[in-house]
Amino acid sequence: MVTRTLRLTAPPHTVDTVHDLLDSVWASVPDLSARDRMSLETAIIELTANVIQHANHGRGVQATLTVIAYKDRLEATLSDSGEVDHVDLEGREMPEAESLAESGRGIPLMRALVDTVEHRRVDGFNHWTLVRGREAQDVDRSSTRGMPSVSITGVIDEMARQRALEELGILDTSPEERFDRVTRLAKSLFGVQSAAINLIDGDRQWAKSVAGDAVVEMPRESSVCTDTIMGDDTLVVPELTADPAYADRAQDGLINFYAGHPLYASTGERIGAFCIYDPRPRAFTEREQAMLRDLASWVQQELSVSQELSRAAEVQQGLLPSKMLSMPGWDIAGFCQPARAVGGDFYDWYPVGEGAAITLADTMGKGIAAAIIAATVRAVLRSAARFGDVTGAVNLAAASLNADLDTTGLFVTLFHARVDMDSGEVTFVDAGHGLTVIARTDGTIERLRSHSPPLGVDIDTEWEEQTITLEPGDTLVAASDGVLDLYDGSLDGLDRVAALALLASSSQEVVDALRTRARGTSSDDVTVVVVRRDD
Amino acid sequence: MDISIIPHPQGVTEISVSGRLNMVTAARVREAIQSAVDDNRPRVAITLEQVVFLDSSGLGALIAGMKTAREAGGDVRLVKPTEQVELVLELTNMAGVLRSFDSVESAYADA
Repeated sequence: MVTRTLRLTAPPHTVDTVHDLLDSVWASVPDLSARDRMSLETAIIELTANVIQHANHGRGVQATLTVIAYKDRLEATLSDSGEVDHVDLEGREMPEAESLAESGRGIPLMRALVDTVEHRRVDGFNHWTLVRGREAQDVDRSSTRGMPSVSITGVIDEMARQRALEELGILDTSPEERFDRVTRLAKSLFGVQSAAINLIDGDRQWAKSVAGDAVVEMPRESSVCTDTIMGDDTLVVPELTADPAYADRAQDGLINFYAGHPLYASTGERIGAFCIYDPRPRAFTEREQAMLRDLASWVQQELSVSQELSRAAEVQQGLLPSKMLSMPGWDIAGFCQPARAVGGDFYDWYPVGEGAAITLADTMGKGIAAAIIAATVRAVLRSAARFGDVTGAVNLAAASLNADLDTTGLFVTLFHARVDMDSGEVTFVDAGHGLTVIARTDGTIERLRSHSPPLGVDIDTEWEEQTITLEPGDTLVAASDGVLDLYDGSLDGLDRVAALALLASSSQEVVDALRTRARGTSSDDVTVVVVRRDD
Repeated sequence: MDISIIPHPQGVTEISVSGRLNMVTAARVREAIQSAVDDNRPRVAITLEQVVFLDSSGLGALIAGMKTAREAGGDVRLVKPTEQVELVLELTNMAGVLRSFDSVESAYADA
């Protein structure tokens, strides 16, 4: 079996892109007859051309094409994002030759070239399947055992599977000890040469963890795990070379024995397999199978942790203010990018009286522990803000958080301010944060000093309230220390951000510039709030 | 795709095409035929020996060119179509209209 998949966006791609993919399919199936090759190629090009030409009224289309060459048949599926109002596959007859019509022959030609053409529309996508039986060959049907036929259901399942895998966010990430210890253990427990956590991603297999000689990446067609994910049972192949279904996937010195158990996404899709393999054929007892399943469920739990983390990240992003503050004469924007899935930074804003409360906080530490404390600080400050002035709110929050911070040994730096929208007066408490700066419209830059320790350091702290005024055109920027790391790591970074604020025409522009800078490079949580008083 | 235009005796114009004749390249073939007709040389022979692929868009261009040529008293005839081109001509029932020959000379031997 040979499988090739192409993701195509037209424009800029054209049918020539599809020809190139097909060339690589044909090169891998040397025993294919010329007639079969020409017929499927012509049919696929007619279909693709039709999708490109007619879909979306020229607004472009995205499509995924998969071609599978089985021993006895060829299957092609195309899933495209085009809006097809009306697909009339059966109704279109070949135009009379004498009519000399210049168009209208594509669809009838396609139908004449293959045995079946199916079209279905699901979830806003068109799914087309073309099947052509291959001309008489020495058909070895056992070789298709366990292989999915690319029926439309198969394609939809595969798309769901792929989506679940991508949502896990684990592909192409670095090795992690929590997975590696399981593969290492499996290798020594079963006395095999290789153990791996393999994920089936499109047309490749990629290993999150390998022990021994296991291969990190290989084409899906050479993978045995791709068969394992067709069912819920452990797949054991004692000797690949003795089994016609697997003989072509055996590799000298690497794999001739295989045992693997499927791994699932939390939504139930089989995304990969935990497997062991060895160049020597061997038997695999019931007891060993049970052990393999146990190890697989361990891996499964570690995968669930990854998934829960990414869900926690969504929850945490949800705690950030989603709405703009509607405060006439003011322009406020912010963003928060945790270094890991979740982080200890947050920012917040909400209307209070004739203005707004603005908060930026940084919990010492990163990851889940910091995130839990950050969520608590946010909630406590929000409720405290209703009962008093800035100092009162911080005092109340500090008092109720002290016990928690003491137990966890964490502390929190905080900038909490009230902005009076009419006067431009900003009253604030800076608890050990000290990363707030004002860019004045005349080009001067003022750093706001912090005179108080962070929350969680000293229970008897008196929070010192300060006041400054933002004149029209002035901008206040509060940042976390992750922002400094986007520059040289020193406090000068803050001045650079202020300079950026002087040049920008809106708060969002400052935020966007920092977001771009932070992309992919930050080792610390990066958070910023920009408050600008309109000219 | 490459196109070359080669004048032959008796007002026959050979248009030699190589590569793929599909929706990407159809317009160029159409234009080549049109330019032969514009030059008052509507007897066109299209050499397809080097064409690895023809689809319905390419076929449409040949049909359009043939209509233009016929209106000007000429024709479009095919020379040495490859197997895939023959397959498409057969299945679209166009083989009897867009006729194929072994050489440019034999294509217009009747004239």
